[in-house]
Amino acid sequence: MEMNSIPMVVRGCRLHPTQDVLLMPEGTLELYGPSRDVLTRVDGNRDVAAIVQELLQEYEGAEEAEIRTDVLALLQDLKDRGVLRERT
Amino acid sequence: MTPSAPNSTLRPLSLIAELTHRCPLHCLYCSNPIEMRKAADELTTEDWARVFREAAALGVLQLSLTGGEPLVRKDLPELIASGRKAGLYVNMITSGVGLTGERLAELVEAGLEHLQLSFQDLDEASANHIAGTKAHAIKLALAPVIRKFPLAFTVNLVVHRMNLDRLEQFIAMAEELGPDRLEIAHVQYYGWALKNRSLLMPTEKQVHSSLEIVANAKERLRGKIQLDSVFPDYFGNFPKACVGGWGRQMMLVDPAGRVLPCHAAAVIPNIEFDNVHEHDLGWLWRESGAFQRFRGDAWMPDTCLQCPRKEIDFGGCRCQAYLITGDAKAIDPVCRYSPSHELLETLRSAAAEPLPIWRN
Repeated sequence: MEMNSIPMVVRGCRLHPTQDVLLMPEGTLELYGPSRDVLTRVDGNRDVAAIVQELLQEYEGAEEAEIRTDVLALLQDLKDRGVLRERT
Repeated sequence: MTPSAPNSTLRPLSLIAELTHRCPLHCLYCSNPIEMRKAADELTTEDWARVFREAAALGVLQLSLTGGEPLVRKDLPELIASGRKAGLYVNMITSGVGLTGERLAELVEAGLEHLQLSFQDLDEASANHIAGTKAHAIKLALAPVIRKFPLAFTVNLVVHRMNLDRLEQFIAMAEELGPDRLEIAHVQYYGWALKNRSLLMPTEKQVHSSLEIVANAKERLRGKIQLDSVFPDYFGNFPKACVGGWGRQMMLVDPAGRVLPCHAAAVIPNIEFDNVHEHDLGWLWRESGAFQRFRGDAWMPDTCLQCPRKEIDFGGCRCQAYLITGDAKAIDPVCRYSPSHELLETLRSAAAEPLPIWRN
């Protein structure tokens, strides 16, 4: 996952409308901390850089470098679990 | 360690809705009970909608529509829609028999999110023999139709002695169908599979070779197809955490509304299963005797009570303990610490020329 990657959730996978869980075939993935705020912005249109910029606005006073590292790590982890992919 | 009280904060995560026991297939390993429910006893559309709402209120996230064959229910689109309306993620497990592009469009429109189609073998004659009907060609033709719709698609391969020698080619066949997920499940010996145990039991050699083939396929398909597998537990040394522990994560409602902690629980004598006609799902989860029976660890034999693995496998499978030892409270014989563990060795050796028994 790079700053210009455009992440999207895979077919059959969606964020629960109210709870902090990602729903997928026969399973759920619990989301911790600000993961939900990241995932609501994963729509197959925004790239990682855009997501980071939006989160910077939302979390006042947060370090950009820190947000960037955290977002990339989360998205990479979800990609490795097969619930996200990069739009090509 | 001392026995701990059942945790009152537990909530079920998944609901298995056995919509019907009617099925065009008669698989040799069917997990339906031997005593099947008649069509006349089946819950109505409204009954199910209420059950789904109560499930969501209880914290359930996943709904699996299964059977029998869910497609024999004429109200399937309404059932799917009511599951989604309740807020559940809707899975369907189907044989595909009776499914067309037109019908699938209706189901997806209603909110179906994931469909699982299982295959009996790579070879058509053998697949139809195992399913007890000519379904293989129908299933193969259906895969490209399913792929036209925006839903997750799982191909499930049920493996046992009759098809394990062709596992690599069987996996290749599944890959060509283009699924998002692939499940390779060794048969579990309950229901009809138990009746056919000596026919289906793989050889030691087949099991070892299958573990290697599955591990390689998992590596090869990483990032493309998610592969999940079910281990043949008669060949293991520690029991599986059956249904995530008795009364810990799962509820099953049978076609007539009886609520069970797992598919097979009705084999255990002297358990009364309450019905959604008389109680709401919240009461059934918390109070029903069937759910309390083996919840927590108070029922466990000393060996299990003192074993750190009780936090991993929750005491294994009660149905298996009963079916093999005759005592539902016994240590799951899959466990190496069970005095009956050696029995599995006998059960693993196939009888000479056993005859198949198909479900009616």
